[in-house]
Amino acid sequence: MTGLPILEISKISKSYGAVKAVNDVSLHVGRGEIAGLIGPNGSGKSTFFDCSTGLQRPDAGTVKLDGQDITGWSLNRIAREGRMLRSFQKTVVFKALDVEENLVIAGQMFTFPSLFSTFGIGRLSKKRISGLRDRARELIKMAGLWDVRHQPAGNLSGGQQKLIQFASMLMPEPKIILLDEPMAGINPKIIERVIETILYANKSLGVSFLVIEHNIDVVTSICQRVVVLDQGKKLVEGLPHDIIADERVREAYLGG
Amino acid sequence: MFSTVIEQIVNGIVTGSVYAIVAVGMTMIFGVLRAINFAHGEYYMLGTFGAWFAVDYLGLSYEASIIVGVLSTIIVAYVVGRLVMQRMVGAPAEAGVLATLGIALVLQNTVILVFGGGYKFFSGGYIEPLSVLGFSLAAQRILILVVCLLVFIGLELMVTYSRMGKSMRAVSQNVECCEVVGIDVPKVVLHTFILGAALAALSGVLTAPVNVSVYGGMGELITFKTLPIIIMGGLGNVRGTFFAAMILGIAESLVATYVGLQFRDTVGFATLILMLMWRPYGLFSTQARF
Amino acid sequence: MSLADTAQQIRRRDLRLPLAAILVVVALAAPFIGSRYVTHSLIIALIFMLPAHGLNLLVGYTGLLSLAQAAFFGIGAYAAGLLAVHYGTPFYVNATAAGLLAGACALPLGIPALRLRATSFVMCTLGFVIIGQAIAKNWISVTRGDMGLSAIPKPHFALGPLSFTVSGTTSFYYMALAIGALATLAVWMIVRSPAGRNMIAIRENETLAESLGVPTWRYKLLVFIISAVFAGVGGSLYAHYLTVVSPLTFQMYYSTTMLIIVLGGGAGTISGVVFGSLLFVGLTEALRITPELRMIAYGLCLLVLVFWFKKGFAPVLNRFWDMIGGAK
Repeated sequence: MTGLPILEISKISKSYGAVKAVNDVSLHVGRGEIAGLIGPNGSGKSTFFDCSTGLQRPDAGTVKLDGQDITGWSLNRIAREGRMLRSFQKTVVFKALDVEENLVIAGQMFTFPSLFSTFGIGRLSKKRISGLRDRARELIKMAGLWDVRHQPAGNLSGGQQKLIQFASMLMPEPKIILLDEPMAGINPKIIERVIETILYANKSLGVSFLVIEHNIDVVTSICQRVVVLDQGKKLVEGLPHDIIADERVREAYLGG
Repeated sequence: MFSTVIEQIVNGIVTGSVYAIVAVGMTMIFGVLRAINFAHGEYYMLGTFGAWFAVDYLGLSYEASIIVGVLSTIIVAYVVGRLVMQRMVGAPAEAGVLATLGIALVLQNTVILVFGGGYKFFSGGYIEPLSVLGFSLAAQRILILVVCLLVFIGLELMVTYSRMGKSMRAVSQNVECCEVVGIDVPKVVLHTFILGAALAALSGVLTAPVNVSVYGGMGELITFKTLPIIIMGGLGNVRGTFFAAMILGIAESLVATYVGLQFRDTVGFATLILMLMWRPYGLFSTQARF
Repeated sequence: MSLADTAQQIRRRDLRLPLAAILVVVALAAPFIGSRYVTHSLIIALIFMLPAHGLNLLVGYTGLLSLAQAAFFGIGAYAAGLLAVHYGTPFYVNATAAGLLAGACALPLGIPALRLRATSFVMCTLGFVIIGQAIAKNWISVTRGDMGLSAIPKPHFALGPLSFTVSGTTSFYYMALAIGALATLAVWMIVRSPAGRNMIAIRENETLAESLGVPTWRYKLLVFIISAVFAGVGGSLYAHYLTVVSPLTFQMYYSTTMLIIVLGGGAGTISGVVFGSLLFVGLTEALRITPELRMIAYGLCLLVLVFWFKKGFAPVLNRFWDMIGGAK
C-alpha cells in the first residue's frame, strides 16, 4: 500500500439551493485498499459518490484518479478511460437482457478503441466479442450464475442481480470500484457470497474499493479504513473498530 | 403607427386568451397523467362543430349552441376518458403520446367523414363592435377576454378550496402517495380530463364567431399552437400557462402584422425550440421535472 | 420410438429456407403477378420502409421516440427534387445528396434536442416538422412555395456507357426493391454490430449503460443522424416516384405513418418493419381506402398497439418463423 493513492478526492463541495449537501470533504483510497464510507441517511454519501464519479458536477474540489485530474469528466468517460466503475442502489442490471449479454455489454467499450469501431461486424469485431464472451463466462462461473446465464436478468432474485452487477463491473479490469450500498435488500446467504467476491476481486485482481454500506458487520469485516460523513462533512476517519467505539459516530447515528 | 401596435397587442391578448383556455386544460391533464394530450385541439374542434350543428341544423340561438357544443364534447370526453385516458395512469410517457395521437386521428377524421372536409360558415355570436377606451373591439372578443379571466379565477378557487381541486393538486404532486392515502386516482384523472376537454370546447365555441370558418382540421392547428405554450409555461403549471399563452398570442399578432401572415403559425414552435435551448425546463419552472 | 415421436420427426423439417426463397421469388416476380396498381402499392410501401427503418433504430433500438422523421423525409425529397430539376443529375447522386443533407441537418438539430427529457424531446422533434413545412412554404425562391416542385424527371443512371432511365412502374419497383434490400441489410449490419448492443443497452437503462462506459450521448446523436439519412434517401425515392414535392411532404401524418409501421410491425425487429410497411402502407394503398378511413384505422391501430399489443406483430411473426423452422 505504498505510493500514490489510487483515488484522491480533495475538498469536494456541492449545494442544492441553500442546502450544502457535501461540504469540503476530502477522501483518498490507497492502492489495493478497501475503504468504507458510512454515515446516517442524508449525510451526503450518495451526493459525494455522484460528484466523484461524474454523475454530478461538484461546485468545488478536485478528483484525481491514479494521479490524473478527472474533475468534470462525464460518468462514461471516467468508466471508459479511468477504469473507475460504480454501482447504483436501484439500477442494477439490464432486466430484459440475459446474464451473459449483460456482461458482454459491460466489456464492450473497453475492447473497442473508438465509437466508430463498434459498428464493425468483420472478423476483428467478432474476435473481440468472442473474447469478451469467454471472459464473461469465467466471471459468471465465479459468481455462481452458470445455470441461469441465458435467463433474462430481470427474472432473477435481487441478490443474484447484485452479483450480475458486480460481475459486470469486473469485465473491464477496473482499477477501482465504488459500491453504493451493495448489501441493501439482499438475503444473508448472498451477502456472504458478495463479500467473497469483493475479497476475491481485491486480492486476486488487485481492485481497490470504496464502499458505502449500512451493514456495520460487513464494513468491519471487509474495510481496512472507514470514513464517516455527517451532515455533509467528514466527521471522523479511522480503523473500523475504532470507528464503532467512537462517541461522535454514535451520536451522529442516534442524534441524527 | 403607435396605435396599430396597441391594437395588435390587444388582438394578441384576445388570441392569447383563446389559447390560454385550451392550454390550461392540457397542462392540468399533464399534471395528473404525466402525458401530453396530442388530441386536445380536437375537443376545441368538437365544441365548434357541436355549436355549428346546433345553429345550422337545429336552428338554435348562439347561446344555446354554446351549451350544445360543450355538452356534446363532454359526452365524447367521458367515453374517451373511460376507455383510454384512465388506462394511461402510470404508463410511460411514450404510451401517452402514441395513444393521444391515435385519438386525435380518430376524432378528426370521424368528423371529416361525417360532415365533409370543406369549410363551413359559422353564423352567430356577437360581432357588433363595441367601443372601449377609444378602441373599437367586437363584443365577441371582449366576451372571450372576460371568460378567460373568469376561467382562470375559477380554476384558482377550485384548486385551492374544492375537494376535487385539492385531489387534482395532490395527484399532480405525487401519484403513489395518493394511492396510499386513498385518493381515487383514475377518478381524478377522468374529471380533470373532462374539465380540460370542456374548456377546450368552450374556447372553440367562443372563437367560432370570430374565425367564422369551421373545418375538421382546425383542431390539429390548435394542438400545435398550445403544445409550445404548455411546455413554455412549465408542464402542469397553470399560471405559467396563462402567461405563456399571452406571450404567444401577442407575438403571433405582431409577427403577422410586421413580418408576414404566413409566418404566424410557426411562431409557437420556433419560440419553443429557442427557449428549450436557453431554459430546458420552461420559462416559469426552475428545475427539471419532465 | 413411438409413433407420435416419428410423426413429430417428420413435422420437424426446417421450412425456413424454402419459405425465404419463395418470398424472394415473389418479391422479384411481383410486377408480373399483380396488377400495375399492386406494383404501385408495393413501391409506396418500399418508399416508406426506408424512413421506418431509420425510425426503428431510434425508437426500437435506442428507445428515443421521435416525430422528426417526416422533416428529414421532406428535406430529402426537396434535395433530390431540386437537383433533378435544376441540374438533371443521375439518381444515385440525388439519393446520396438527399441522405447526406438530411443527415447534415440532423446534426445541429439533434445536439440541442437530445439534451431534452422525453416529453420535451418529442415536442421539439414535432417542431422540426412544422418549421420545415413553414420553410418549404415561404422560401419561395428555392422551393416555389405552395406550388411545390413539379415535373421532377424520372430517375436516370449514367454509369459510363451504360446509361438508362427508370421510366415505367415495373422498373421503378425493381429500383425501390434494390434500395429497400440494401437499407434492410444496412440496418441488419448496424444492429448486429457491438454498437447495436450498446443501443439496446441505452434503451434498456441509459444511466447503467453510461456507468459501464457507453458514451450514450454520442450514440444517441449518431443514431439520430443515421435515422435521418435513411429518411432522406426515402424522400429522394418519393420525389422521383411522385415527380412532385410540396410543403405537405413535411407533415405530422407522415411521421405518424412511420411510427405505425415501426410499432405495428414490432419495434426493435427488422422483419417487423418490412412486414409493417407492407401491411400498413402497402395494403391500405392497394385497398384504395379513403384517406379519412385510413387515418381512423391508423388511430385505432395506435390505441390497440399501445394498450393491448405492445410488441406489434413481431411475436406473431417470430412464432410463425419458429413453427415452420420445425420447433414446437
